[in-house]
Amino acid sequence: MIRLARALLVSTLLATTALAQPDTEASRFQADFLDGKLAWETVLETARAEGEVHFFYWGGGDNLNIWMDSVVAPALAELGVTLRANRITGTKDAVDLVLAETAAGKGIGEGSVDAIWLNGENFFTLKQQGQLFGSFAQALPNSVHFEWGQADPRSTLNLRDFGTTTEGMEVPWSGEQYVCVANRALMTLDQTPSDLAGLRAYLEANPGKFAYVKPPHYLGNTFVQQVLYAFNPDGTAASPFQASISELGAEELARLIEPGFAYLRELEPLLLGGPQGATRYPEDGAAADGLFRNSEIHLTCGFGLYAVATKRANGSYPDTAEEIIFPAGSMIKNKSYLAIPANAPNPAAALVLANYMSSVDAQVTRLELVGYPAGIDPWRLSPEDAARLEAAAPPHFGVTAAELDANIAPDTNASLVDVVEAVWLEYIERQSDDPFAAVVARAAAPALATQ
Amino acid sequence: MTRPAARSTARTGEPWQVAASLVPIGGVLGLMLGGAVLLAVAQSLGFAPWYGINSFPDPSYLAGLWGSKGFWVSVGLTLYYSLAATLLALLLALTTATLLVRSFPGRAVFGALYRLPLVVPYGVGIALAVIMMGNGGLVSRAFAAIGWIDDPSEFPRLLNTHAGWGVIAVYVWKQLPFMVVAIHAVMVGADREQAEAAVVLGASRWDVFRHVTLPQIAPGILSATLICFAFNMGAFEAPFILGGGYPDTLPVLAWRFFNDADYTMQLRGMAVVVSIAALTGALVLAYLAAYRAYERSIGRA
Repeated sequence: MIRLARALLVSTLLATTALAQPDTEASRFQADFLDGKLAWETVLETARAEGEVHFFYWGGGDNLNIWMDSVVAPALAELGVTLRANRITGTKDAVDLVLAETAAGKGIGEGSVDAIWLNGENFFTLKQQGQLFGSFAQALPNSVHFEWGQADPRSTLNLRDFGTTTEGMEVPWSGEQYVCVANRALMTLDQTPSDLAGLRAYLEANPGKFAYVKPPHYLGNTFVQQVLYAFNPDGTAASPFQASISELGAEELARLIEPGFAYLRELEPLLLGGPQGATRYPEDGAAADGLFRNSEIHLTCGFGLYAVATKRANGSYPDTAEEIIFPAGSMIKNKSYLAIPANAPNPAAALVLANYMSSVDAQVTRLELVGYPAGIDPWRLSPEDAARLEAAAPPHFGVTAAELDANIAPDTNASLVDVVEAVWLEYIERQSDDPFAAVVARAAAPALATQ
Repeated sequence: MTRPAARSTARTGEPWQVAASLVPIGGVLGLMLGGAVLLAVAQSLGFAPWYGINSFPDPSYLAGLWGSKGFWVSVGLTLYYSLAATLLALLLALTTATLLVRSFPGRAVFGALYRLPLVVPYGVGIALAVIMMGNGGLVSRAFAAIGWIDDPSEFPRLLNTHAGWGVIAVYVWKQLPFMVVAIHAVMVGADREQAEAAVVLGASRWDVFRHVTLPQIAPGILSATLICFAFNMGAFEAPFILGGGYPDTLPVLAWRFFNDADYTMQLRGMAVVVSIAALTGALVLAYLAAYRAYERSIGRA
């Protein structure tokens, strides 16, 4: 009930805070930096004067937290900035805080969030509400580590976040790929599905031995998106899903996703609990990992290009866990980013943090210790740095990096993700009997109304 | 059955003394609870300018909620878990409390052990339920290991179904000792002589319970069941982790709305919260009124 508490906090803030005077110094810093008038030395100096940075990030990974404390905090301390790590259970909590404080009249320089690790809907929300610091990414010294040229198709993930243009308001921090993992003690190589028809065949022989995380959790959404790509009736896979809902229209979307949703409905009785008449979707990644570790499911899917290596090492996965290429050609790859809210209390320190996080050192040590794929683009690095990055990568099990790379697909447009979530809730969870087109039209109505 | 004289002489004070002593609790309730309730009601009626929404007063959030079929299933499930757990715990608590007023070998040990769940958090109880009752849990694995079933997943599902065995088990496990403490305290303080007199006059054990013990312990039953029922109506963790998914209980439904990436959903969440408060409040008031009527019927005004 954190959110309840937050809503109450808003009321308290509203009641107690008279509209404060804007922090003129912070406003000037923001304007000057975004106009390119400030040398990086000045930013470093301002950051030292600010002295600390409040970084909000999902704190559910032990390895990540350890890396933050043992690598990032000392590195920032050298620059005269104390890292205040705010470990949150959901990124939306930080977004809520920014919006609540803005609502309470805390303007530029007066908030309590300096930087957030986010992507997709959370970035979309902050950008839509005009709550971001501005286009800072290309002004960082380490921005040379990213491909920004629109002509190069490899720049897409730096320029678009779930279809929303980033406009430099966030800087890529980490890459990720959605990978399914098989327990080889239960699923042999020749039984391993490579496509969704194969998954159904496997579950017909082994009913109940798979579960995907329940949408609207992003891990569940991503599985559903991959199914929709694979069953795209035009055979154009992910490409039509790059458009926004207003460009695509509800009718066209319904036509594109109906076969995929028909498959998901047929699959439901074969999922965990289905044979007993009560299909059960795990609520989050930890719940799905628990089922997998406990041999209740033979296959689990989630973001984590190197998850098998790190989770085998910490015991979250059995030693018989191996990555598989599934569904072939539809493995979603995306990036996550660091964003700075408009009312960040220490914007210069936040910029210093963002710049450090984009450094080769930060990316190499994180890849090595945490297993999060690099957010910087290896072809933009010097050969020595690129080699360091390659050497730091944890091993793959059962597949090669080249195979994983060969099967990637882009993420779905953020505005479509909302609609797909709503369709899943109504068509799969609530088992709606209405015509499919009507279900999609209803789900798309709020998104279409605001555009 | 006359009332003990001591109870009727309530201490009275100057009005200002009464008012002054009410300030601390009044302040806490008025600010913390009253403010929260007001804000929740305002939001459920479309007041959320911090998300750019202000259509106050707008009944569509509440009306939309009450008009959906799923909501009433959620109400039914919430009531079912709350009532079933409260009644089951009450039955067990009455038996245990009756046992505890007698003396038997090992009574001291038993009297200490039964209170153990009081100090163990709900979350631990939920984890225990998953470890014991789940289909990857100890019981199902033991059955598979001795060959009664081929695979742990074939064990009857106790968790994550709408029958709610897991949810009810956790509520009862945690609340039983609380009820026993409340009822046992009243039983110990009650006058044993009346019960003995009734037995001498030829009353059966049931008559003694019905006409002597029950009226004596009724206040303990009332307070224990009231608190447990109201808690169960608003409890989130157990139905979230052990419940059967859609349709969810009301607190889980509220959480799903609050957790949605779409901010406008928070107003629907508030509509759910207001509905929980109204429903629980109405039921508690009805229960209290019924208790008053009962008190009057047995001559305690």
